[in-house]
Order: sequence, then structure tokens, then C-alpha cells
Amino acid sequence: MSLRLVINGEDRVSRAEPLTPLVDVLRDEFHLTGAKVACREGFCGACTVHLDGQPVVSCLVPLGTVEGREVRTVELLATAGELSPLQRIMEEHDVVQCGMCFPGILMVLTSFFQEHPRAERDEIKAALVGNICRCTGYEHLVDAAVALAKRS
Amino acid sequence: MRAPLRHERRDLSYVAISRIDELRRLDILDREISIGACVTHAEVARSLGALPECRALAQAAANSANPAVRNVATIGGNLCASAFAAADLVPALLCLDAELEIEGAKGSERMTVKRFLEVRTDIEPDRLVRRVIVPRTTRRSVHIRLPLRKAGDYPVAIVSLAATLNPAGVVESARVAVGSVEPVARRWEQLETNLVGQSLDPRRATEQAERFCADFLGREGVEAPGWYRVKVLPSLVRRAVLALQEQS
Repeated sequence: MSLRLVINGEDRVSRAEPLTPLVDVLRDEFHLTGAKVACREGFCGACTVHLDGQPVVSCLVPLGTVEGREVRTVELLATAGELSPLQRIMEEHDVVQCGMCFPGILMVLTSFFQEHPRAERDEIKAALVGNICRCTGYEHLVDAAVALAKRS
Repeated sequence: MRAPLRHERRDLSYVAISRIDELRRLDILDREISIGACVTHAEVARSLGALPECRALAQAAANSANPAVRNVATIGGNLCASAFAAADLVPALLCLDAELEIEGAKGSERMTVKRFLEVRTDIEPDRLVRRVIVPRTTRRSVHIRLPLRKAGDYPVAIVSLAATLNPAGVVESARVAVGSVEPVARRWEQLETNLVGQSLDPRRATEQAERFCADFLGREGVEAPGWYRVKVLPSLVRRAVLALQEQS
């Protein structure tokens, strides 16, 4: 069976079973390894991608429900080699630690800042409740996100 | 989809219904709100946030789990997940006197959420929850949850409260629903009866909740023991009454 979907603006055809979690299709079939597999339960947020513009936990999205829909992964954030403002500020603040949770955090914050560009610290923290960082680098990355909100 | 992780066998079949447009509709009508089974928590929160009488449901939808889960989790899924005691929308719907429409080959059937919770594990697989119907009244409502972390966690206990007050502030009708404490959410009728005919008073409501909370047998869980879930109920009732006072 084959199924059409749009990943990062490109038409793709997947041959995986319809019940395969989207994250496995992205990683194993299309080699987009930015989204990480960690809990597979929707708790950790490491697999977050955008589906039709909204962040979703791709471990809980069956491939069969994505037909014809638009998937965006962390690989799309830096267009033509240029980091997004969010990525740039994270680099400036030297936020990244092991990198496991980080793609999911970028995807959540990217859509969050589209809706709330001038968000306060507490709102940013509330937006990140679904992203677990085992390095516990939370405050540092919230500092960076607050700095970005203050710039806009 | 999570079965392999738990070393369980996958169900033989999975029927996806998320592309049926009608199931994704949310209509705010004059006398009721109709919410299709596949409407997500995020959409419920967005659409109902401005309606004071549905605040309990909007709050439940806006605070459950985490943002990326709220974008995929649906109201029908929350109601049908019989093994999930900490579902947020269920007590909120109970306190709002919501009903369900269930569709099958032999026609459709309407039942209260309370009735649905009694029969849901016995419903034949050829039937489908089609929509949730929330009546619109002049009540005020609130959803109070206690997660162990501030957010992004399953609640240890939930109290959803809806009440209609007369101009003098006396409670004319009250609905209290408790979730996550027992395996299935249910109304707290004894407390409801004692709230009616009085003005809303957090202290008295807390005392009454303390008196009646032996009525609950808390479920044991890794995140909290059963006794704790019951012990926190009077505090959640107090918070609910306070929040309702602020709305009025």
C-alpha cells in the first residue's frame, strides 16, 4: 500500500503500514532524524512536528491519518542554510545540551511564537509543559525564548 | 499504536474516522452546543473559551496533557477511553449535563454522559459516538484539577462544578463531578444537594465536602495513593467555589 503526503513542502509517497507512527516514517523511510523517538507515549515531546501548521506528537499520529496533509519537521526551520530567529537566539544563548529534546522544543516554540510573539516568561513555560529535558536545561532555554519575545 | 511498547498484541483492525468532516464540526447554536466526536481538545478550548456557561469544558480542554497532545486528542477519544481514569473532559461534561449521540446500523441513540459511562465497555463495535451535545443555560461552571506538576501531567483529582445562582446569589441548582479519584468519573450528588438553597460559601462547601468525601474510594496509582486523591477533594471544592464566585 502507498500513501501520499507532503513533507517539508515536497510530495512524498510512503510504503509503510497505515498504523505506523508518523515519527518512524519520517526517520526510517525519509531519513529525517530531527524528530526523536523517546517515550512513544506523548509525554516527552521529543518527536514534535507540525501537522497542517500545528505542533503534534508524531509518535501518536498513525501514518494513515496523514494522507494529503502537510508535515513540517525541524529540518525545515533553517531555510537555505539560514537559521530561524528562534534557532539563532538559542545558539547565542548556548542553550543546546545533549540535543535529544531540542528539535521538539524548537517546533513547539516556533508555532507558539507565531501566535504569541510577545509572550511572557510564564506563558513560554506553559507552552513547554509537554517537552521534557533530561539534561534539565529548562531555565536557560526559557531565558533565550524570553529574550526573543522581548526583541519583537 | 503503543501496544508493541507494552509487549502487547496490536488489535487486528483499526478504523480511522478522523477524515469524516461531520465529526470535526463544532456548532454553537442558540440552545445547545454540538461537538463532533473528532473535535480536538485544542479546538474545544479555542471555540468555547468565551462562553461563560461552558467554562468548565473550555478549561478542561485547555489544560489537559500538553499542547501537542491537545492538538491530536479528541473529545470522543476522551469519552471512549474506558481504561483512562484521569480524562479531563469527562467530569466537565458530567457537570454540564451533556448528552451523546451514538450512531449505529440500527439508527441513532441519545444518552446522558452518566449513562454512557455505565455502559461504554459493553457497547458493540458497530456503533460510533457521533457527537456530544451540551445544553446552553445561564449556569456558571469551573474545572479544577490537581496535577503533581504545575502542568503537563495527569491530574491526581478533578472537581468540575456548575451552578445556577438567583439574583440574590443563592444556588438554585448545582452539579459537582469528580474525576480521576475513582476508576470512572461520577457526580457527587450528596454535595450537590447540600449546596442548593444556600449562597456560595467556600468555607461551608469545604466542610460539607469533608463530611461527604468518605463516599469515595480512591484508586491506587504510581503517581498517588488512593487515600490522597480523596483527601484533596475538599480543597479542590473550595478552589472551585472560589473560582465560581469570581466569575459571578
